[in-house]
This record gives sequence, structure tokens and C-alpha cells, in this order.
Amino acid sequence: MTAATVPAAQARAWHLPRPARLLRLELRRNLMPWLLPLFAALFWLATYRPAMAAPPLWDTRGTMLQAQTMLAFAPLLAGAAAWAGSREGRRGTGDLVDVTGLPRWAGRLAAWAAVTCWAEAVYLAGVAVVYGITAHQATWGGPLWWPIYVGAATAAAACAVGFAAGALTPSRFTAPLAAVVVFLALGAGAFALQHGARPTYSQIWPLNAQGAFPPDAIGIFYPYLPDLAIAQLMFVGGLGTVALGALGLPAVSGGRWLRSIAAAVTVAGLAAAGTAVGLAGTARLETHGIVIPALHDAASDRPVAYTPVCSAGAIPVCLHPAFRGFLPDVTAAVTPVLHELAGLPGAPVRVTQVAVTTVAQAPSNGANLGPPILSGHPAVLYLPLSDVSLPGPGTPTTAFIGELRDELPPLLNSFVGLKVLNQPGSGGIIAGPSSPGAPAQIAVAMALAQDAGLLNPFPVPGNQPRHGNGSAQGPQATGAQAQAAAQAQAGAASRFAALPAATRHAWLLTHLSALRAGDITLSEIP
Amino acid sequence: MTPVATGVRQTSGPARRLPAGLRLTRLFLASRRVLTCLLILVACAITLRVALQWLPRTGTLSRQIPLTVEAAAAAAIGVTTRSPFGDTERAAGRWLPLLRLAAVVVTTGAALGLLATGAASRHLAGGILDLLRDLGGFAGIALLAAAVVGSGLAWAGPLGYLVVAISAIEGNWTTPWVWPARPPHDHGAAICAVVVFAAGVVVHTLRPARSSARE
Amino acid sequence: MNIEITDLTRRFGRTWAVAGVSLESGPGVVGLLGPNGAGKTSLLRMLATVIPPTSGKLRLLGSDPGGYGPRRQIRRRLGYLPQNLGYYPSFTVAEFVEYFALLKEMPAARVPAAVAAAIERVDLSDKARSKLRTLSGGMLRRVGIAQSIVNDPDLLLLDEPTAGLDPEQRVAFRALLRDLGQQATVVVSTHLVEDVGAACTGVALMDAGKIVFQGTPDELTGRGVGIDAVGDAPLERGYTAVLSAARAEPARETAQ
Repeated sequence: MTAATVPAAQARAWHLPRPARLLRLELRRNLMPWLLPLFAALFWLATYRPAMAAPPLWDTRGTMLQAQTMLAFAPLLAGAAAWAGSREGRRGTGDLVDVTGLPRWAGRLAAWAAVTCWAEAVYLAGVAVVYGITAHQATWGGPLWWPIYVGAATAAAACAVGFAAGALTPSRFTAPLAAVVVFLALGAGAFALQHGARPTYSQIWPLNAQGAFPPDAIGIFYPYLPDLAIAQLMFVGGLGTVALGALGLPAVSGGRWLRSIAAAVTVAGLAAAGTAVGLAGTARLETHGIVIPALHDAASDRPVAYTPVCSAGAIPVCLHPAFRGFLPDVTAAVTPVLHELAGLPGAPVRVTQVAVTTVAQAPSNGANLGPPILSGHPAVLYLPLSDVSLPGPGTPTTAFIGELRDELPPLLNSFVGLKVLNQPGSGGIIAGPSSPGAPAQIAVAMALAQDAGLLNPFPVPGNQPRHGNGSAQGPQATGAQAQAAAQAQAGAASRFAALPAATRHAWLLTHLSALRAGDITLSEIP
Repeated sequence: MTPVATGVRQTSGPARRLPAGLRLTRLFLASRRVLTCLLILVACAITLRVALQWLPRTGTLSRQIPLTVEAAAAAAIGVTTRSPFGDTERAAGRWLPLLRLAAVVVTTGAALGLLATGAASRHLAGGILDLLRDLGGFAGIALLAAAVVGSGLAWAGPLGYLVVAISAIEGNWTTPWVWPARPPHDHGAAICAVVVFAAGVVVHTLRPARSSARE
Repeated sequence: MNIEITDLTRRFGRTWAVAGVSLESGPGVVGLLGPNGAGKTSLLRMLATVIPPTSGKLRLLGSDPGGYGPRRQIRRRLGYLPQNLGYYPSFTVAEFVEYFALLKEMPAARVPAAVAAAIERVDLSDKARSKLRTLSGGMLRRVGIAQSIVNDPDLLLLDEPTAGLDPEQRVAFRALLRDLGQQATVVVSTHLVEDVGAACTGVALMDAGKIVFQGTPDELTGRGVGIDAVGDAPLERGYTAVLSAARAEPARETAQ
């Protein structure tokens, strides 16, 4: 060992400040690079594959980057951070670091920051891959960033919670327990969302992007509503802040003032998280997303302007440019129905895609979406695509066309004057009082559906559609009568469907008004 | 140091001392914190029992939560392989492989028994045989992970595989190597799980888990 | 005075590890000798502000380390090498020393030069980029010494610093101690009396939590002269003579 002093090295013109040097050390000697292969594999499995199988829509893939990526990453990040946090306990350097001048809280925050930097780098690399590919595939729009903000904040919070657990209880079991607790917490959140008595509060679950709102309609017709995302950021930010504040509470972490600040930080985190849950409790599902009144910006309610892409033809089918690639398939699905109705009074002059026609919260974090609607003068068919599986590598085109066609029978019911409360496939309930003309309306609707290759709107034999909407009470047919009535309807429908199209069309042209008014009986149907 | 003039006095009579083999096993298990592991396994069993009370009978959650508990048990088994002694122990003697095998048998057997008890008379999607198959496979992955990346990080193996399993269940995968996604009567999946478990036990018995140098 | 201790005690449960120690020291090298369990490490840990005393008065570098602010100031000017050195196996030598330089709140501009100088002083320049897990026990000990001196401390506390060092390294280390002791107060806890004899200007001998001798190495040597004390070297004979006398006194008091 040299006793003589060593001449000091020439001072450099610029030096990294001390916190940056500490962070650089922690970044360089971190566990996370060794877990990169595992994270890459899980990202490919949990996000990349499903994302590439889904249609190239920014909203669908963006919500996957929030939900599915974090489901795979967050628990393992918590475990890795717990491992990093327990370093001093495992390596016996507690005394050495405790006698240094830097408050322990500051040293630990530097170590946490290093783990979090790596975690965010991994996550954002995955985001870059998915969004980069989507940029080449998508036909409209741009990346959604709110889901990414929530995902990134969730990653940081998972690291904070895990790190605090490891630092405060350094044990060989802390890392796996931290990972498992985060797994179970995410599972509990999903359970509360699907089965809880007050599902609105559980909307705060950070893997829940826009709740039950269809993912392929988010941020397309209307701007992305950030209300829920803001609340989720408050929530996970609050949880992370609580964990980091807790690191500063032990006596070894610093002086009295510093620990008072740590306590204040912890309380602030709790307040933020609690406030976020309270805000989530006021959330409601609207036709363009989840609205939280206290966080809502009315500017988000204005629809996004776009120029639709339309098919050529007598009755054009117009879709949002984001769905440009599906235009041929949608046209193929609706053309048979349009063909049946073309030229008739009230027939649609155009088919226009909409996000949803109506939406209502359903149990298990579901949403009841309204069917296609024919309205206006001249009539326009408003067609949502949100209730069907869009075609892609995971869904063949025939399945998409089939699902879309299954949405159309109610259209025929309303066209002939029937108002059906439920989907008739399960024995529909016809709204309004019973009328002599209803069997004829049903028969014509069945015939048109049959000829267009759609599902029979009233497929259950012997199941006479029942009347009633709470006030009107029609005579409910008994078993044999119902059978006979259903057979008569089916017979009339078959007869009508068997007619040449031109004959059928001509009859409808002259009798449609009377049919809608309920003045046509079964025997009058040719 | 003062030389000892008299012989060492026995602290207890020979009749009250366990056989040497059992004493060694007890000390080995204590050094691996097996008792803490057993307490964690009890907590896993209680968690499973409580969860099965509330979980729906079908759907993703009905599989995801029990699998998480099984992975947690396997992770605890994995980190229990860590030796606090390092070279001192490795140079010590020939009983270590048997002791490692004994530790694995004790912890895995306890995990199987406790989780099966926790799920008893509750509706567990897949049934008890499913649970035993899945847990055995998870434990094998934990033991193999301990051999590759070190006992301190052995938990990453079963928990990473858990994500794979959940994806496989949602995607209806058919490969037997992701046995949690397969029905209970799938012999191929059971064989794969048994093979992985056996491989983990053999590797761990013959070769001590690495101590992690990763910081 | 850099160290001022008056009737310092430290209790662990029912055991008085330090049972009333008084000591004052300015710049120089003080050797702390004593048998196993004498309380040397506990005393050193109190001086390093790792643990607080149970009772008594302690002033380090002119300040009372009881308050957080003064304690933080003291720690910036303190170097400590514990008996059991924990380390991070994947860190390199330079990174490990730099890490502690940063934790000691050294000005960022000074850190690179200070790290290089500390590593060179312990003769590990050629190992600066080697990972700690590749080093031998003796080299690890030298890394520990390097981190303790990186901030040019005014108070340096070393617990068994020469454990694992080869004889050549021990000779070099003693020279380093003498050099450091010219400016700073260095307290070295060791079992090796020859280290004390070669490097220390003062020596304190502890037994059963108390200081039973305080003086110079020559004075300790003199206590063994003319007495049939056990030891292979004069300082060893002085050491055993003092211990025997200290242990005989309570017996004589009890007998009386």
C-alpha cells in the first residue's frame, strides 16, 4: 500500500452531479438486464401475439398495452424490485451504508429509480414495437397515449411497492411474496370489477381501460376520454407514493425533518389513492366512453371529424376510415338485406357506421350495445361494428360477416312495424299491444330474413312471441294454440319467401304501409 | 485460549438425543428456513380456501387465482433451496445430496398436502388431481430455475410460467407442455408435469443451487 | 481532540458489552487491543455512529453525534471498516469505492480522483475494473480499506483491517496507517500486537467491557518486563501481563 499521496487527476471541465453518478452506478449494476429475456418472452406471449392477431386499430392495441402487458409485467417487476430493495439486508452492508452522510431515504430512492428506469425502458420498448408495426398497418388515426401513461405508472408503482417490501423486510421470501401479492391484487381487482356489488369503484383497477366500452370504438368517433385514465394515474401514483414514503419513515432513513416529509408524502399518497377510488365511484358509461364528471372535459364530447370511405353502389356503405380495410366485408354482409329493402318506403339510402347506437352498463363489467338502427328521412341505417369480432388473423372473414348478419334481423322487424324488446331468437317479447296484424308482420320479417340468408328472427317453433311492455296485455296463447299460430306464421313466411323477388317486392311496395299499420292478416300474404 | 482439562460434559443423556441423521436433517432444514416456507404454504392453503369460497365456478378467474396460489407455493419451495453457507458446506460432506432431496420432499409434500386440504370440499376448477399436477410442475420449474439463475431468483421461474399458463388458458392452447391449460384427464400434460418435476428434483439433488451474484 | 469519550456504556439485553470507557484522542493512530468479547467491536460501532451508547458522553470531531444534523456532518468526515465486510459481488472495485464516495456526499468533481487515489493507496489499481466476486479475501479487505479512506476522513475506524493480508501487505498497511495518522485520528481494533507496535502511537487494552490499560506501546511492553508473563514477543508479554493483572484485581477484591 502506498503511503505517499497521489497527485490529483486533472479536473474535468464537466462532472455528472452526485445524484446522477449514483443513479448511473445503480443502473449499471442492476438485476433487471438479467431478466430481460424473461420479460421479452412474456411480452411476446401476452401482448405482441394477441395484438398482431387483433385488427390494426390504435385503440385495440393501445388498451392491450395497458391491460395485458401490465398483467404479465407488474408482478415480476414487483418481485425484481423487492430483490433489489433487499440488497443491503442480503449482502450485510447495512452498517456500511448507514454510517455514510447521505440519508438512507435518498440512497434507497436512487436504487428504486434505477430499477424503475429499467422497467420503463422494457415497457416502452414493447410499446415502440407494437405501435411501430401498427403505424404501418393502421389506416387512420395515431397512437393512443393515455393507456401507455397508465401502463408506465403501473410499472413504476409495482416497482415502488416491491422495493419498499424488500427494503423494509429483507428476506429470501420477500421477492416472491411481493410478486404473488401483486398477482393476487390484480386478480382481486378483476373479480371486484366482474362480481362486486359496487362495480363503479372497481373501475379504478389499472388494467381496466375504458371499462366495458368496446375497445375498437375508443378514440375513433370521439376523442379518447381520459377521465378514467386520470383517476387510474392518481390511484397507482398514490400507491407508489405511499410505498416510497414508507421507505423514509424508519429512524435510520434520515433526520426528524426528513422523516416528517416522508410521513407527509405517505399521507399524500393515501389521499390521492383514496380520492381516485372515490372519483371512480362516480363513473358512468356513455356512448363515447367512461365519464367521470369531476374530471370530464366537455371538449371531449365533440365528435372527431373524418371523411368516411364509401362503397360504390346504389346504396353506399360508408365506414370510418379506420375501418377502411373491412369495407368489402361489411358491404358483403349488408347487401342481401339492402337488396330486400331497396326501393321500398323507408328503405335506407345509405349505411353509415357509428361507434354505438346505445350503450348501457351490464353486469360483470359488460355493456349492452344497441343494435343497428334505421332512422331518419330519408332513412339511414346506422351500423355499429363494436358488437362483432372484426376480421383478422384470429377471426376469419366468414365469421365476421356471419356475426354482422346476425345483428340485422331486428332491423327487418322494425322495418315491417314490429317493435321487439328482446332479441327474438330467444322468444322475443313484442312491445305494444297485441294486434291482429302482428302475425303477418312476423311472417314477412321471417321471410325477408330467410331470403337474405339471415337468422330467423323467431326461430323457436311453437314459441308464440309474447306481447307486453308492462302495460299492454295481449292474449297469451296456450301450448296448442301457440303451436298452431307458429306453424301458420312459418307457412306464410315460407310462401312469401318462395315468391320471385320481383313479385315479393311489388307486393311490399303496395302493402307495406298497411302491413306496418297492422292491417294485413296472415291469409293476405301471398 | 484456556486448554480444556476435563472432558466435555454431556448436556443431555443419550436416551434423549435424536439419532445423528435426524439431527443433521433438522439442522439442514432449519438452515434453509423450511419452517418459514411451511408457514407460507399454510398461508397459501388458507388463501386458496378463502378464494374458492368467492370465485365463480367458470371463467378465467376460476383458474387464474388457484394457479397463482400454486405458483406462490412453488416459488417458496424454490427460494428455500438457498444455502447460507457457501463453500464451507460444499466442502463438508457426502450427505448433502440426500439432505437436499429430503428438503424438496418435505416442502413439496407439504405444499401438495396443504393445498389439497385447502381445496377440499370446495369447487376447484379442474379438481384436486389438476392441482397436484400443476403444483408438481411448478415446483419442478422452480427447482430448475434455482439451478440456472440461482436460488434467490428461483421464484421468477414459476411466476413467469404462470403468465404463460394464463395466456395458454385464454388462448385454448393444446400443447401438453403448458399443462395448466389442459384438462385433468390429459395424460400427456400429466406426463410433462411429472417429467419437469422429476428433472427439477434430480438436478437439485445432484447439483446445489447457485447463489445469485446478481444485484 | 477528535474523540472524547466519558464513561461510555453499551448494553445488549443483559450483557454490558461496554461497561464504562473513557478515552480521548487527537490525531494519531490508536490501537485497540483485547481478547474476544472484550467489547472492541461494540466500542468501534459506537464511534462509527452505527449504534448509540446506552449511557455516557460521546463527542466526535467536536460534535455530539446524538443529533441528526451533527451526526450527518460527522459521517461525512468518517471512515469505517467493519469486521465483517458486506459487498456487492457484481460491482467492480472502482464502482464499490465510488458508491461509498457518493454516499459520503463527496463533491462530485472530486469523486473520480479520490476513487483512483484510494485504490492506488491499497495497491489495487490493476484490479480496479475487476468484479468483487473475483477477488481473494485479502484483496476484498483492501477494497474495504479503500472505501474507508476515499473521503480523506478525519476519523478512521478500522476493525481487524489486516485480516487476510499477506505479510508484505501488512507491512505496507502499517506505513499507510502511520501516514494517515499524521492528520487524522485512526482507531485500529486488532488481535495482532505487532501491528500495534509498528504503527500505533497509542494503545488501549480492553477486557470485559472496560479499558484496563491506556498508554504507548512502549509502556505496554514495559508492563511485561520482569514478570513471568506469557508471550513470544515483548508486546505480547506486556499484553498478557496487563490482562492477568486486570483479572486478578476483581478476584482480590472479592476475596477481601
